[in-house]
Amino acid sequence: MQSVVVAGGGITGWAAAAALKRCLPHLDVTVLPIQPPADAFADRLPATLPSVLAFHGDLGLSEADAIVRTRAAFRLGTRFVGWAEGLPDYVHSYGAHGQAIAGSAFHQHWLRTGDAPFDRYAPAAALGREGRFLLPGEPPVDLYEYGLVLDLSAQAAMLRAFARHLGVREAVSELRSVRHRADGFVEAIETGAGPLVADLFVDATGPAATLRSAVGGDRTDWQRWLPCDRLAIDAAPTAAPPASLDMVEAIDAGWRFRIEGAVQTTTGACWSSAHDPRPGGIAFAAGSHAEPWAKNVVAIGDAATMVEPLEWTNLHLALSGIDRLVTMMPGRDCAPVEIAEFNRQARDEAARVRDFLLLHYVTTRRPEPFWRDMAAVELPDTLAHTLTQFAERGRLPFYEEETFARDSWLAVLLGQGVRPRRIDPMVEAIDPAPIAAGMARHRDALAAAAARAPTHAAFLQALHRQVLS
Amino acid sequence: MTDGRAQRVVIVGGGTSGWMAAAALARLLPKRCSIHLVESEAIGIVGVGEATLPHIRHFNERLGIAEADFMRWTRATFKLGIEFRDWGRVGDSYVHPFGTFGRGHGEVDFHHYWTRARLEGRDVPPLEQFSVACMMARMGKFAPPGDPASLAGTFGYAYQFDAVLFAPYLRAIAEGMGATRTEGRVVDVELDGERGDIRAVVLEGGNRIEGDLFVDCSGFRSLLLGEALGEPFQDWSRWLPADRAAAMPCRTRTDVTPYTSAIAMPAGWRWRIPLQHRTGNGYVYSSAFVSDDEAASAIEAAVEGEPMASPRLLRFRAGRRERSWVRNCVAVGLASGFLEPLESTSIYLVQQAITALVELWPENDIADADRDEFNRIIDLEYDRIRDFLILHYHATERDDSDFWNYVRTMPIPDSLAEKIELFRRRGRIVKYREGVFLDASWVAVYLGQRVVPEGFDPRAGLPTDADLLRSMAALRQEVSATAAAMPGHLDFIHRYCPMAEAA
Repeated sequence: MQSVVVAGGGITGWAAAAALKRCLPHLDVTVLPIQPPADAFADRLPATLPSVLAFHGDLGLSEADAIVRTRAAFRLGTRFVGWAEGLPDYVHSYGAHGQAIAGSAFHQHWLRTGDAPFDRYAPAAALGREGRFLLPGEPPVDLYEYGLVLDLSAQAAMLRAFARHLGVREAVSELRSVRHRADGFVEAIETGAGPLVADLFVDATGPAATLRSAVGGDRTDWQRWLPCDRLAIDAAPTAAPPASLDMVEAIDAGWRFRIEGAVQTTTGACWSSAHDPRPGGIAFAAGSHAEPWAKNVVAIGDAATMVEPLEWTNLHLALSGIDRLVTMMPGRDCAPVEIAEFNRQARDEAARVRDFLLLHYVTTRRPEPFWRDMAAVELPDTLAHTLTQFAERGRLPFYEEETFARDSWLAVLLGQGVRPRRIDPMVEAIDPAPIAAGMARHRDALAAAAARAPTHAAFLQALHRQVLS
Repeated sequence: MTDGRAQRVVIVGGGTSGWMAAAALARLLPKRCSIHLVESEAIGIVGVGEATLPHIRHFNERLGIAEADFMRWTRATFKLGIEFRDWGRVGDSYVHPFGTFGRGHGEVDFHHYWTRARLEGRDVPPLEQFSVACMMARMGKFAPPGDPASLAGTFGYAYQFDAVLFAPYLRAIAEGMGATRTEGRVVDVELDGERGDIRAVVLEGGNRIEGDLFVDCSGFRSLLLGEALGEPFQDWSRWLPADRAAAMPCRTRTDVTPYTSAIAMPAGWRWRIPLQHRTGNGYVYSSAFVSDDEAASAIEAAVEGEPMASPRLLRFRAGRRERSWVRNCVAVGLASGFLEPLESTSIYLVQQAITALVELWPENDIADADRDEFNRIIDLEYDRIRDFLILHYHATERDDSDFWNYVRTMPIPDSLAEKIELFRRRGRIVKYREGVFLDASWVAVYLGQRVVPEGFDPRAGLPTDADLLRSMAALRQEVSATAAAMPGHLDFIHRYCPMAEAA
């Protein structure tokens, strides 16, 4: 493999180009910087999962370049409001909720003796609820991860500058057509400025998947599971010190959100047009390529899998696809056995993200027709398996290629009021009184630590001073 | 039925799996079940799994077993991996270690750098010289793993022990926690006419033992699951044709190696498992390719020390029951399936079944969700181990006997063919985060049996030649020095856990 053309000039496209050139410097990498369309959510939503930091780390991008100069803020998770009627809001943060006791998972003990909502035992949620931020440090304020709230234009510009600095070339033109070889592989992209020839083509054009669709195969429709098909996005300058949690609130036929960044605050809503005919919004349809890689074209991010932005997985899936591409870079012949393994991993990963999003809907209890319809949806086997196992005894079966850790599944399941019929029998063999006392101490220690921690704004200011002085 | 009272658990069969199950259930679910184990002294213990995998340490820990005490009682030695001799070609030898090779660079595993140097025509030492576990094994050293961030922390270990002594050790624990034992041979299994559940087992002499949940640890016979409930057996002998073993212990004369040996033979392979007081030996063979008499002579000729018994014949068939948990009967160990002990998985499979049973402990009215999940977990374990075992036979250049010609050319499962092809092309290992044998194990066997990749991860091409060779030489030196600084295996045992009295 010697040459790669990346079609797509947003965060996804430049991130792919930068990672390829950084990890495989012998590759000749060219970007055709097509402006990301409105429905390329990986390029439109500023909230990211913790994976963005690992991605920056792999590229060798410093905190100064990738957080401070790009005017990013931190985020510790999402506060979910109104998803379970009659229950308080809950926080999905990334990391430990308590620790295993006597060989049994913390949540099993919590189910028996917990006397406060589940998120009170998570350090990141405790910080987030108070608008604070700290990097993971000493116990009990440890074992968590955090994401970023990006300034999207600054992020795209930074990645482009970095990629070009590494030697990525930029073809300034537009995509006109695709030229095939006799064996069905793509030979070149025809542009206004002549053909772009390469061994491998990376499709980062968003859900239209302009290149990937040129080599055949349809996307699997997921709308019966994820029927939301409109997204409205608004941005305004951030007025008050930014929160360290974003907010996602269930509404009549979908949800609305608020993400506070260092510079801009993004708000909006996502809904099902079949249940709410209000005008406006960007139209999209949930679905995924069973084979994101075909011949010598690999679809990355929204071009491979299109899901609504709940839980902010669009950019995460793009970065994960880029990692997988770098790790599994095949020979020039793109041998079917190598491509098949890439596709298996990508397919399993996308399916479990779909399951995690659908989990939010099917466990919600609200009276509106949309929510009643969602509660009755026939589940994919994998999610049905997870829910059955959890409903029986609070057990979460293992899946390969899982994006969200067990603690994330638990935060949503328990936050939305799902309770197993019984608990781990091993827990019953243990005296509950000391366990309950220990849990209360842990919770109090987290609350006290959160009260002492700097506010998110103060943390950002200190970081800026430290980096820029 | 309600869930108010403790379940009456009847375990049929003592031996390693029966007493492992009894001890674990008594220890972990004391309020949930009463344990009644039925065994007959007239039926011998197969005691196959004398060599174990590192997972056994976790099992012992959960049972509160102190390592040194356990090792003294079972006359155990440490195990850092398995040495495979004569598998790829006669004269070959490699170690499959409980540990990793070298230090990867970020996400790129060391074997890609090693492959690159080889493909560039460099004179590169065997991969095992970059593994602390392998070098410890070769030098006969042992010390517990150190800081996981250092080279001295890049390995794990298991035990080689006397399975005939392990069962009584566990029995003491189980009985100490309230398990009861009845001596006797099961002559009848009473089924509930309506539901088909097992209601009771009847012993010779008429003693009848009722239960709510039955654990079948009856060994190959599969008395409850196979015979009484008729669960079909999935036969894997077309891929794993070995169906007999001739076992023969001898006195330990040569080195007590901190590893098990698996030495290829004309119609199978033989094990060599050194304990403190004796060395276990056995020839696992296919009866289609060699007679029992020939096999017995072959093992007699091969043992290194003074024999302690004449060869004993064991019969088996590779495969597993379609389901391991049917109605109110859970089969554990050989009653659920058999995979030859080539990678010491027997006790591991027992342990996984017990762990899954504890995790999915049913109510008196057993939910399908519990049974189905148990069977899903156990099937996956069997299936993945199966592919790994087949690889050992199939990836060979040997053409010196009908047996090796058969396994070298036999059709293999697609799932394995794809794995081999991925490795052959570019040294890639199909990634699983869960499963018993992870990346380094597959790498060890592929390269040890001459499946050499034609390419490598392109990121391994980044360092300059000079840098790569310099750092490989330094690493090899460091690995060797780390292993060399450790105490001798027997010295460590004599200090830490010498057996109570000489056998």
